[in-house]
Amino acid sequence: MSIEVNDKFYAKSSDAAIAEAGEYGGAVTTLLKYLLKAGIVDAVLAVESGADLYDAVPILIEDPEDVIKASGSLHFGTLNLAKVVERYLDGAQDMKLAVTVKGCDAMTMVELMKRERVNADNVIMIGLNCGGTMPPVKGRQMMEDFYEVDPDSVVKEEIAKGKLIVETEDGTEKEIPIDDLEEEGFGRRTNCRRCEVNIPKMADLACGNWGVIGPLAGKATFIEVNSPKGAEILEKAQEAGVIDLEAPIPKGIEIREKIDGAMVRLADKWQDKDWEDKTGREIFSVLSEYMDDFSRCLKCYGCREACPICYCDDCCLEANNGPDWLSKGEVPPSPMFHLERMLHMVESCTNCGQCEEVCPGEIPLAKIWHEVNAKIKDQFGYTKGVEEGKPPIAYFPFPQPASK
Amino acid sequence: MDQNFKTNEGIRKMEIKYVPTICPYCGVGCGMNLVVKDDKVVGVEPWKRHPVNEGKLCPKGNFCYEIIHRDDRLTTPLIKENGEFREASWDEALDLVASKLQAYDPNEIGFFACARSPNENIYVNQKFARVVVGTQNIDHCARLCHGPTVAGLAASFGSGAMTNSYESFEHADLIFSIGANSLEAHPLVGRRLMRAKANGAYFIVADPRYTPTAKQSDQYVPFKTGTDVALMNAMMNVIISEGLEDKEFIEKRTKNYEELKELVSKYTPEMAAEITQVPADVIRDIAIKYAKADKAAIVYSLGITEHSHGVDNVQQTANLAMLTGNIGRLGTGVNPLRGQNNVQGACDMGALPSDYPGYQKVIDEDISERFTVTWECKDLVCTPGLKIPEMIESAAKGDLKVLYITGEDPVISDPDTNHVEEALNNLDFFVVQDIFMTDTAQFADVVLPAACWAEQEGTFTNGERRVQLIRKAVDPPGEAKVDWEIYGELAKRLGANPEAFNYSSAQDIFEEVRTVTPQYAGMNRERLERPEALHWPCPTEEHPGTAMMHVEKFAHPDGLGIFSPLEEQGPKEVPDEEYPLLLTTTRILFHYHAAMTRRADTLDREVPTGYVEINTEDAKELGIINNEKVKVKSRRGEIEIPARVTPDILKGIVNIPMHFRECSANVLTNASAIDPRSGMPEYKACAVSIAKMEGSK
Repeated sequence: MSIEVNDKFYAKSSDAAIAEAGEYGGAVTTLLKYLLKAGIVDAVLAVESGADLYDAVPILIEDPEDVIKASGSLHFGTLNLAKVVERYLDGAQDMKLAVTVKGCDAMTMVELMKRERVNADNVIMIGLNCGGTMPPVKGRQMMEDFYEVDPDSVVKEEIAKGKLIVETEDGTEKEIPIDDLEEEGFGRRTNCRRCEVNIPKMADLACGNWGVIGPLAGKATFIEVNSPKGAEILEKAQEAGVIDLEAPIPKGIEIREKIDGAMVRLADKWQDKDWEDKTGREIFSVLSEYMDDFSRCLKCYGCREACPICYCDDCCLEANNGPDWLSKGEVPPSPMFHLERMLHMVESCTNCGQCEEVCPGEIPLAKIWHEVNAKIKDQFGYTKGVEEGKPPIAYFPFPQPASK
Repeated sequence: MDQNFKTNEGIRKMEIKYVPTICPYCGVGCGMNLVVKDDKVVGVEPWKRHPVNEGKLCPKGNFCYEIIHRDDRLTTPLIKENGEFREASWDEALDLVASKLQAYDPNEIGFFACARSPNENIYVNQKFARVVVGTQNIDHCARLCHGPTVAGLAASFGSGAMTNSYESFEHADLIFSIGANSLEAHPLVGRRLMRAKANGAYFIVADPRYTPTAKQSDQYVPFKTGTDVALMNAMMNVIISEGLEDKEFIEKRTKNYEELKELVSKYTPEMAAEITQVPADVIRDIAIKYAKADKAAIVYSLGITEHSHGVDNVQQTANLAMLTGNIGRLGTGVNPLRGQNNVQGACDMGALPSDYPGYQKVIDEDISERFTVTWECKDLVCTPGLKIPEMIESAAKGDLKVLYITGEDPVISDPDTNHVEEALNNLDFFVVQDIFMTDTAQFADVVLPAACWAEQEGTFTNGERRVQLIRKAVDPPGEAKVDWEIYGELAKRLGANPEAFNYSSAQDIFEEVRTVTPQYAGMNRERLERPEALHWPCPTEEHPGTAMMHVEKFAHPDGLGIFSPLEEQGPKEVPDEEYPLLLTTTRILFHYHAAMTRRADTLDREVPTGYVEINTEDAKELGIINNEKVKVKSRRGEIEIPARVTPDILKGIVNIPMHFRECSANVLTNASAIDPRSGMPEYKACAVSIAKMEGSK
């Protein structure tokens, strides 16, 4: 069977044991394992649980047998793996890498590829549907306060049908609508609530459980092919006999789109709540609203360190003699600190939330930059995280002359 | 497939590894991941799962990795000959140190333990000093930061530690911060305070400087340095005269109230206003607000302790809290913020001349007897040893002849630098064990290279008494060794019972710590592996640990808290005609002392040198403009330093951060004004003059 872009499948591992043990038929685990075994990639970058399921840690896997370590969803994992690729793996300049990506990781990866910080030729993005992730410590508190369970007794968590379902060691399941949790300030990270990219179509493949109905419900993964690269690897995996593909039930495709649509509407609702204007207000209006928040800045550079787009070796915020517009050692630094950083990254800001999560001053950074990014989209027509076009402020969009 | 990627040996082994550990700087104890790539620590990544800081760090934490692989790490033992250091083998250096430790009377030998290193190292250090060398002369820098807390809160509450957890702040209705600039000095506690404020807590900051913390307050109360006792006496005066004291709490849980009541009766707000420069109605206002809040928390730090009446200040905070029943509940408490990352642990481990591990008193013969049995050693001396300032003094006089310092840098951090240098020069033999050639190590006869926090296993105990695992990320550089291995080698050479120092790992040591430290008894490795770890006291393996102390009763044998009536003493050295300004010293956000943070490139770029903060009006009178280099002089010495002219400090008061050798605040500070109850020198107050440089316009 020849696989093409836009094809959709129900997929499960051909290995009965993996299909049984892995989540949703173990298709992603099998694919990653195959990519390593076949030498298509040198390594897989994924996420494993560290101290417990509230602790997500990146793992670089070379041995196919280790892929299993990274299986299973971790909704308390709030990493951006694109940052890890750029910062610690030299942007995959000289290694072939498969990376598991949520929407924000995938969009960031695309932005970094456009900026030539990640080598697009060397990276395969295995997209994972994501309806949002939750901050770990707050998540544990949520287990105590709302689920009334010992957070350490939780063995599995899952987001389905608008509910967060939690299973404890004694096998009991409890579910609470995400809406209710979020009303109380818990649930997903605030950036995730605003996120419209639940199915990472910018990844080579987008994998998830939405839309798997009928006899395979819960036993297979829905895979959408988004790129020729994605088609090629899926085809090879199928030819190698490691993965079983079948056509999805049409009703399932419909359901998947419905779920996605509902999530996008929810994101819209949160954007309305968080911003005064959906298309983003004029930049200085946005900034003026947050001056009190900026006054809590401790100049820890945490936002810069966490931001995947802040990749400069020499940062102008701390140029050796110090820029005259930003006094050294001043706490809080002048708002110019944030304005300068914003200029450098905001058009590529994917609302991944890393900056806000690490901020000791509790400045709602992702919320601010997401709104400004919406304005950029409105003004320049540039959508971050998708393949078309380059960031319009970093690059002039001269049309390329037609090649002869 | 990229051919470059293949080598002759096959696939190049790639590794990136996140090693969860604890920040090496302040006592907040933030979790972080060290990122290891090809056996080098290449970055810090957030550990969002960590309960203390949820992945958030301050600048020191974010860039702590920058010092680990520096070229100027000490990698081999050094011996000084004819004034110059030369490299030496471990055998040669250790033989030399051992021979010197043997050649002197134990009373002539002293140890400064390292409050930056893990509990396991500190435990072995004090055991080595006591068991092998036979001296009680072991102390550490708590003496110079929270010694008054340990003494003061132990006297008031029966235990000298923070009463509540950091998280507890978020439940407060009111927070009274005095002598604490948390946003700079303990940033991730500062965050808790900001969150408390966002939750609706009323935030009062009393400080002579309009600090970044004060700027976030609901009410800023500037007051004159060193007048804390008068301020709090007047607050208590108001509370009692308004009838706002918690009568039930006082009746059931405390004693000595009548004595307190009598003493504070004369401290009217009007009288205190004269002393503190705080208007009487402001004192009334904050006293009533504090007393009326259902849950009021006090937070303090070195602004309270670093005075010649540091213990008095500390006990005043305890008096205030007991008077209003603000103890033993979430959102209340007396919350000193500890300095060094493991200064709490260094106290717990008994690196104190008066205390064995777990605050068991040296002076108690039964306890000393018990340790003699446990450690299988000859009789331990029941007389407390010398405190740090006493050791310096004794060295200057020529009585203390050998000093062995691990990880401390008194040339930067102890008061009256010239005097410290004199004392160090006067020693017969001086050993420094450290990770860099510090300003203090320059004075040593032998320098021993130590492993840093990223190069070993062990535990740090943070300021909220949480005992947390640190994990090894990389090997120490060159021949550097972990502290406990070095003490063990020396013990062997000094003929100690071979079993007593034959540890196989930090874990091995911790198991022994548990057996002799009642507060740690219930902490096993498995329980500490959880990021929440355990707060002491944790007496048994079934005990959940104690995030909040003094819930039902205080830690005194009778369970009662003790009120301490205290008179205002004020600073010992007050401004006069010759030295008209009052100097206070501080720590800034970007540095933690000097040897480490000044070597972190990012932090060094941010703040490369010191400055003296001077009020705009004072500067104008002296004709000094911002950034102008000036001469600051005290009775001890003088320095040249750039001026930072600012309205953010009270007129008549100046401030110098303590980190910078080239313009060192401690050249000016006073080592002779000492708190009689804790040995704390008066860091936060001494008289100085400021003058323009000769030849300047």
